[in-house]
Amino acid sequence: MSKLNVTLVSGRTAQQGVGLEEGKTSESYVNSVNHVQLSPDDAANMKLKEGGAVSVETRHGSVVVNWRPSKELEPGMAFFPYGPWANQVYGYETEGTGMPMFKGIDATVAPSKGKVKSIEELVKSMGGGKK
Amino acid sequence: MTVHTDVVCPFCGCLCDDLEVTVEDGHIKGVKNACGISRSKFMNHDKNRLESPTIDGVEVPLEKAVDEAADILSTSRRPLVYGLSSTECVAIAKAVELAELAGGVVDNTSSVCHGPTILALQQVGESKTTLGEVKNRADLVIFWGSNPSQAHLRHVLRYSVMAKGRFIPNGRKDRYIVAVDIKMTGTARMADEFVRVEPNRDFELLQSLRAAVRGHEPSLESVAGVPREKVMELAERMKAARFGIVFFGLGLTQSEGRHMNIDAAIGLVAELNNHTKFLLTPMRGHYNVGGANTVTTWQTGYPYAVDFSRGYPRYNPGEYTSIDLLAKGEADSALIVASDPAATFPAGVVRNLAKIPVVTLDQKVTPTTMLSKVVIPVATAGVEAEGTAYRMDGVPLRLRKLVEPREGVHSDAEVLEMIIERMGG
Repeated sequence: MSKLNVTLVSGRTAQQGVGLEEGKTSESYVNSVNHVQLSPDDAANMKLKEGGAVSVETRHGSVVVNWRPSKELEPGMAFFPYGPWANQVYGYETEGTGMPMFKGIDATVAPSKGKVKSIEELVKSMGGGKK
Repeated sequence: MTVHTDVVCPFCGCLCDDLEVTVEDGHIKGVKNACGISRSKFMNHDKNRLESPTIDGVEVPLEKAVDEAADILSTSRRPLVYGLSSTECVAIAKAVELAELAGGVVDNTSSVCHGPTILALQQVGESKTTLGEVKNRADLVIFWGSNPSQAHLRHVLRYSVMAKGRFIPNGRKDRYIVAVDIKMTGTARMADEFVRVEPNRDFELLQSLRAAVRGHEPSLESVAGVPREKVMELAERMKAARFGIVFFGLGLTQSEGRHMNIDAAIGLVAELNNHTKFLLTPMRGHYNVGGANTVTTWQTGYPYAVDFSRGYPRYNPGEYTSIDLLAKGEADSALIVASDPAATFPAGVVRNLAKIPVVTLDQKVTPTTMLSKVVIPVATAGVEAEGTAYRMDGVPLRLRKLVEPREGVHSDAEVLEMIIERMGG
């Protein structure tokens, strides 16, 4: 299987909370948010290698991140910890509520040979760090 | 060495107020009773700090950074003031004052967390209680789209699950815990009952439960992936509780339906009050997001998304909310206080934020400081500055100053006041 269709949700994790208090540039924070979690069955079906990267894509954008198995997830679901990597694939339409859809959106996950960007590279790709 | 007792934790909406912090030679040496995140906040508060005020990445004296910030904000047509949920109430009041002075928009992080909750509460009202009442009385606790095992780590210990209370003498044994979620979270594993709902279908399940409470059995065999029998059983359990509560989270506000999900949850709780005592409380994330709503409301009449461009406050979520304002390219400058929108907003609007001059007040380097024109380091409220914060249930608690900030570093409120004075306010 080369590409997997998933329902993508984002959310807080305790590790992300611990990491952000150390600092957004800390290794602890970056490692807590630069990965997507997949169900172990999906990962096995896709023959994903531990330590490899995946590309997560929605109609709003795509991003290369690490992946981790999570027994909390049913096949067909993926979880993205809140953070700048996750936000590469969420759209900004709020349908008049002020709130974008951060949970329950359609996405695809595929193995990737790409590089996971650093936080500085990610900010630069959004136009930051130049002024 | 000084041991400070009953310290309030400035991280999440639980505002745990039983911490013990040991201070020696002006530095925090230890924290007791804290969760992992809280410990990280206290023990790492001095790590990765911004070293100096900067303009375009170049270190400048504070006065120069304040002058530049004031120039940017007073010459903009539509400045956005955003953040405010991880600071204390006086700073929030100053930010509202500044937004009014600049004729801008003031918004806080609730627009991307429990903003939809507020929209629903304004339509249908709310059935509120304090966490103390939950601790003392709740025998049925439902976590719906919320996961305290990752986001509010001591909630279950202090208030909702393990805590022994006046009418709950045996703690955990006297409570029935239900988790409704799309995944088997840590909270779901700890619960007596896990209800797995299909993504984006909470509204249907809430409405079916409401109908079931009224005695109407669903005609379908399952609702949102939940078997009909389970819906009926849960409805009966809710009716039979002495004191029930729903703690709901972003699983409801950030998925399809948004405020209508909360509307349905309130409707269910209202229905249950025909049978027993039932309440609901949003699991607020940032420790003073409740204060951001409260202070903004007492100053302007509205809790977030407030526009001052006509000289008086107007409120319109979906138009004056930060995401919408940035998406449309309306904001031509931004003042960010105690928040990191470049890490928390969708990339499409971060790109627009990066195009305008941004002034950021923060303690540490963040994606937002990386794209800001002016950065001013500030003291950490609840660690290096005192103030008031509102717990998730609306109870205000006093934050303490435990150590002195670095030399030349001021609180959010003090820096905002400097900018206001420089703007002629």
